Amino acid sequence: MSVAPPGESANRLRGDLMAYATLSLISIFCAVPFFWLLIASFDGNAQLFLRWPETWTFANYLRVFAKEDGAKWLFNSLFVVGSATLLVMVLSGLGGYALSRTRAWWKLPFLYAILLIRVLPSTALIVPLYKFLLTLNNAESALLRPIFGSATRDIMRWTGFIDGYLGLILVLATMQLPLSLWIMKTFFDGLPRDYEEAALMDGATMIQRIRRVLVPLALPGLAASGLFAFMSAWGDFLLPLILLSSPELQTLPLGLFRAFLRINEIDYGLLTALAFIYLVPAVVAFGFARRFLVQTFSGGVKG
Amino acid sequence: MIHLNNVRKFYGALEVIKGVDVTVDDGEFAVFVGPSGCGKSTLLRMIAGLEGIDSGDLVLNGTRINDVPPDKRGIAMVFQSYALYPHMTVAENIGFSLSLKKVAPAEIRRQVEEVAEILQLRELLDRRPGALSGGQRQRVAIGRAIIKKPSLILFDEPLSNLDSALRVQMRAELQRLHRELSATVVYVTHDQVEAMTMADKIVVLNQGTVAQAGPPMDLYHRPDNEFVATFIGSPKMNVLPVTMTREGSESIHLAGPLGMALTLADANAPLPDGAAKLGVRPEHLRVVAEEAAHFIAEVAIVERLGVETYLTVGSIDQPIVVRVEGDVTFRPGDRVPLAADPTACHIFSADGRILRSANAA
Repeated sequence: MSVAPPGESANRLRGDLMAYATLSLISIFCAVPFFWLLIASFDGNAQLFLRWPETWTFANYLRVFAKEDGAKWLFNSLFVVGSATLLVMVLSGLGGYALSRTRAWWKLPFLYAILLIRVLPSTALIVPLYKFLLTLNNAESALLRPIFGSATRDIMRWTGFIDGYLGLILVLATMQLPLSLWIMKTFFDGLPRDYEEAALMDGATMIQRIRRVLVPLALPGLAASGLFAFMSAWGDFLLPLILLSSPELQTLPLGLFRAFLRINEIDYGLLTALAFIYLVPAVVAFGFARRFLVQTFSGGVKG
Repeated sequence: MIHLNNVRKFYGALEVIKGVDVTVDDGEFAVFVGPSGCGKSTLLRMIAGLEGIDSGDLVLNGTRINDVPPDKRGIAMVFQSYALYPHMTVAENIGFSLSLKKVAPAEIRRQVEEVAEILQLRELLDRRPGALSGGQRQRVAIGRAIIKKPSLILFDEPLSNLDSALRVQMRAELQRLHRELSATVVYVTHDQVEAMTMADKIVVLNQGTVAQAGPPMDLYHRPDNEFVATFIGSPKMNVLPVTMTREGSESIHLAGPLGMALTLADANAPLPDGAAKLGVRPEHLRVVAEEAAHFIAEVAIVERLGVETYLTVGSIDQPIVVRVEGDVTFRPGDRVPLAADPTACHIFSADGRILRSANAA
């Protein structure tokens, strides 16, 4: 290493200071809204502007869960998005494997075609999608009503295509599946066939090969595709807004939205507490899957 | 003993293995060697059961195993990439086949340690493959194969991922293992040096057929065809187009490029007149006095290795390599008189079949 002359090192120090100052400013600019969110959610008298709380309190959070249906919204969001993510992981794992390992002329056209689903804004598709789901829903209802009578509505809350968990789960999963399929296909492309063949030579059955070799090897890829699916579906607002109407099925973003629209006053304490609760799962998911992400995008599995 | 009887393989209409007959005896170290695309890896995978056999018989110890699933054949395979499971420790990797068979953990541990002892892996049993060097991974891959006590071990280019120093070391290691285990081995490589140094029997493959099979020195001294002659040996055999003209009943005259003219004794096996090819290895060409020369050529390249020197003479289209003992003082541009050892000349027909081997006369 060479020693820089004093003048040059002073210059470099000044340059570094400038760079850090600029970066700090940008960081503060980005972080302030979150900071506001955090402290306002603990402020007994939260305002639109950033201010230090006079009294720290959990009252906003208590209000979310006691007075409002916060627990239900959180459960609905977690259940719907979690199920969609699980579905995406299973389907993209199997589909990505098939797309990577088979040789077929339609593979590439197919992969580009499914990417279209991702590219088209869901807003543009909402009317035909709604119409389609409604038809399915009516058919299901007509099928179930003679058998279950008045209990049909309770069943349809879980299995209905409109105003039921199933419909939203399927649509959310469908929106996320193309990207996840791409991720998994690329992941399996980078995973040598040798592992499976070695397992075959070792005497592993199909199930054992999947459970003891493929799934552990694919875990980083699955985590990455699951993470993207979860974060994207978690942030979705339009689809639950259109597809859900019963109060007991509302998800967190809908709860937040409706709380914001209340006529008489805007309860910033409640809104920020809700928003903070809404943020936490996404951050946790990211933290959890971060180490897998690096592995997936830096070149697959190292033997 | 493994025996391949007229084995064939098609990919669609393309025949990639065109009727291969090979026998590997018990305890033998057989090496399948050939250029890339010759079908050697496919043939190995067919023996392993990873590829189907379209026709012919694959017989292991007297039983036809064409339709036996890979894990029931009693064959183990070491992959080119080693294919060690990265999420398992060395011990778990080696014991994986036993744990699939639901062998008791204590028994697995005992057998794994036994194998680790042979392969000097005791210290590494709790590590993951990612924390091992190339040579160590190689040994783990071998451990995973030998714990199955297979009647045949297959190696698919196992040294190609190692650097050249480690490759030399692993070659010796593999030979030691082969002796200690007295295992039957089929080993695939594109590197004829590996084949020559390790094999009891070399099977040279070319375009899906066996070009020649036999002990290394048989192939070196008595190749069946031009392909084997030029494939085995490094630097490779010089093959020159010549015109043969009979000179009485006892000898034949060869005229080749660079004004080459030599006469070979030919009493027992009369060679036909006309176009043929002369094969002569670099060590069988000598720098001689001008009056004894068969031809005179200009030196193009000099490669000095200390103990020996390789001279490349002649044109770019038809280079001729000459091995000279010691560190000689030739320079590019020098004209050197050269002679071939008449007892070490191979004669091939124009289409590459052997007409006369060296020392045959």
